[in-house]
Amino acid sequence: MIRLEEVGLSIGKFTLEGVTIDVPSGGYGLIIGPTGSGKTSLLEALAGHVPITSGQITLDGQDVTGLAPEARGIGFVYQSYHLFPHYTVAENIGYGLREFPSDARRARVNELAGLLGIAPLLDRGIEGLSGGEQQRVALARALAPRPSILLLDEPFAAVDPALRRVLRRELQLMREREGVTTLHVTHDVDDALRLGDVVAVLADGGVAQSGSPEHVFRFPNSPFVAHFLGSGTVLKGTVTRSGPSEEGRFPARFVSGSLGLEVVAEREGEAHAVIRPEDLLVSSSPFEGYPRNRFDAVVRRVERLGPIAHVHLELEGIPLLASVTAASVETQSIAAGQRLHVALKATAIHLL
Amino acid sequence: MVRAERYIWSVSLRVSPARATGALLGALLVLFIIGPLLRLLLEATPGALWAAAQDAEVRDAIALTVLAASAATLVALLLGVPLGYALARYRFPGSGLLRGILDLPVVIPHPVAGIALLLFLGRQSAIGGTLGRAGLEIVNHVPGIIAAMLFVSAPLLVSGAREAFATVDPKLERVARTLGDSGWSAFRRVTLPLAGRGILAGALLAWGRSVSEFGAIVILVYNPKVASILIFDRFTLYGLPAAVPVAALLLIVALLVFILLRWLEPRRAPR
Repeated sequence: MIRLEEVGLSIGKFTLEGVTIDVPSGGYGLIIGPTGSGKTSLLEALAGHVPITSGQITLDGQDVTGLAPEARGIGFVYQSYHLFPHYTVAENIGYGLREFPSDARRARVNELAGLLGIAPLLDRGIEGLSGGEQQRVALARALAPRPSILLLDEPFAAVDPALRRVLRRELQLMREREGVTTLHVTHDVDDALRLGDVVAVLADGGVAQSGSPEHVFRFPNSPFVAHFLGSGTVLKGTVTRSGPSEEGRFPARFVSGSLGLEVVAEREGEAHAVIRPEDLLVSSSPFEGYPRNRFDAVVRRVERLGPIAHVHLELEGIPLLASVTAASVETQSIAAGQRLHVALKATAIHLL
Repeated sequence: MVRAERYIWSVSLRVSPARATGALLGALLVLFIIGPLLRLLLEATPGALWAAAQDAEVRDAIALTVLAASAATLVALLLGVPLGYALARYRFPGSGLLRGILDLPVVIPHPVAGIALLLFLGRQSAIGGTLGRAGLEIVNHVPGIIAAMLFVSAPLLVSGAREAFATVDPKLERVARTLGDSGWSAFRRVTLPLAGRGILAGALLAWGRSVSEFGAIVILVYNPKVASILIFDRFTLYGLPAAVPVAALLLIVALLVFILLRWLEPRRAPR
């Protein structure tokens, strides 16, 4: 279990304040944020390399705030792997096992190398290893002493997308096998959605939002989080009540420029509306009666992403993004310049 | 059937006038450095060299030079490596000033350094007086030679150590710490082996600088004589023929150090 409570840290002029993150035992936490938001510094503070100025760090129920890095039982994989250049692959993996008898050390190194498919490399130096091989060696080295906590600093940043998918799978298998609680920092929203049980978005010197990846992605709590996670189209406008309240929510009209939308709101006044791509229904034939929000938009671009496609639309100067199946693009012959009918449920619009 | 094809690359040997001028200017400088040294080595006949090597005073002076330079280098290593590490790893108030201070001995004339050391470590000074009463004489004693050598050579070692440590990514130490190493253990197992070659090169440079020192030593310790002072002595008392074999012998020692230094120089920066 990893628990950061109201952690603050300061490096030069950069500060982080009030960072609270909880990753359950055996869970996978992700810290996501833009470059320079302090993700790596926070991870290094957790490992004991950077002193914290306030708060408490608890690992597996033990307060480790004042402990040296070697006493925290942590494995760390940096973005550039940082393999020891003067040691062989086997020596790198076995680096943290010097207290082990040599037989046990060799067995553990061979076990991890076998699992990660790097056994043929064991006697080699690290010169000439590919990015994927280096990543596997770094992961094996971090896991070798059987840490209870694994910290990953953008481990897939330096590999191509195809290899990233393979490494993600291997990482999941390894951490499940080793039962290690993991905290991973990334700026890749894909990593967050595919790997994490818990995600925390870091911005403006603190945690902007945290929770399950699905919840944070679907219900961002600020325009920044919505923009950063690519939750969909974010529109700035005004909410005006159009009906009576029921359990604190009421029907309303959201107006942004020339676009008016029927919404379900909790408060009136200035607001941002987040429209998720998968909630925007598009069709070449008109929608009848339902849902309430119906309008026509022009297709500006179709972006094919394998089984799905992103349709970039424009409605009176306002860009909108819809996500449809690739099959739908084919059957409806959706192409740039085409005029499409667009519909959106009032309850699908997330107001901030 | 696959037929192997041979590609013949032609290399143009045409050289532009600018490149030719640059090469000529560089060659002139190289000749200016090599010329006098070769001339000195050729001047000393094998017989004269052998005679100089048999001369007890020459042997003693070279041995004293080598031993004192080694002692100065060891002291510089002991004091300078931690300082080089601190300067490479940390930014602290006054670190820029500290670097400047460490470079001072390189830029001030060495007789000036000798006079400064004489004032600082002489019998009349608080430190020299205290050391003298404790039985450690500086002026006109071997410790004075070591002190002068240390003064002029330590900056080279600190600078070499600082550059060597700066090439080692601190994250390597951090990884080692998470793998169970204490700070010292991470330094010993990771940083020192990776910076070692650079530190050694700095130490050899400092050693070579100590061996060649004259200006500071001649003011602090005229006797016992190190090789450079003996050469000066022979030259002023007996003329060039008496100085040449001793100078050639010292040059051979310095060249051996130079060859060792080039051999040990880092061939690539550690990642």
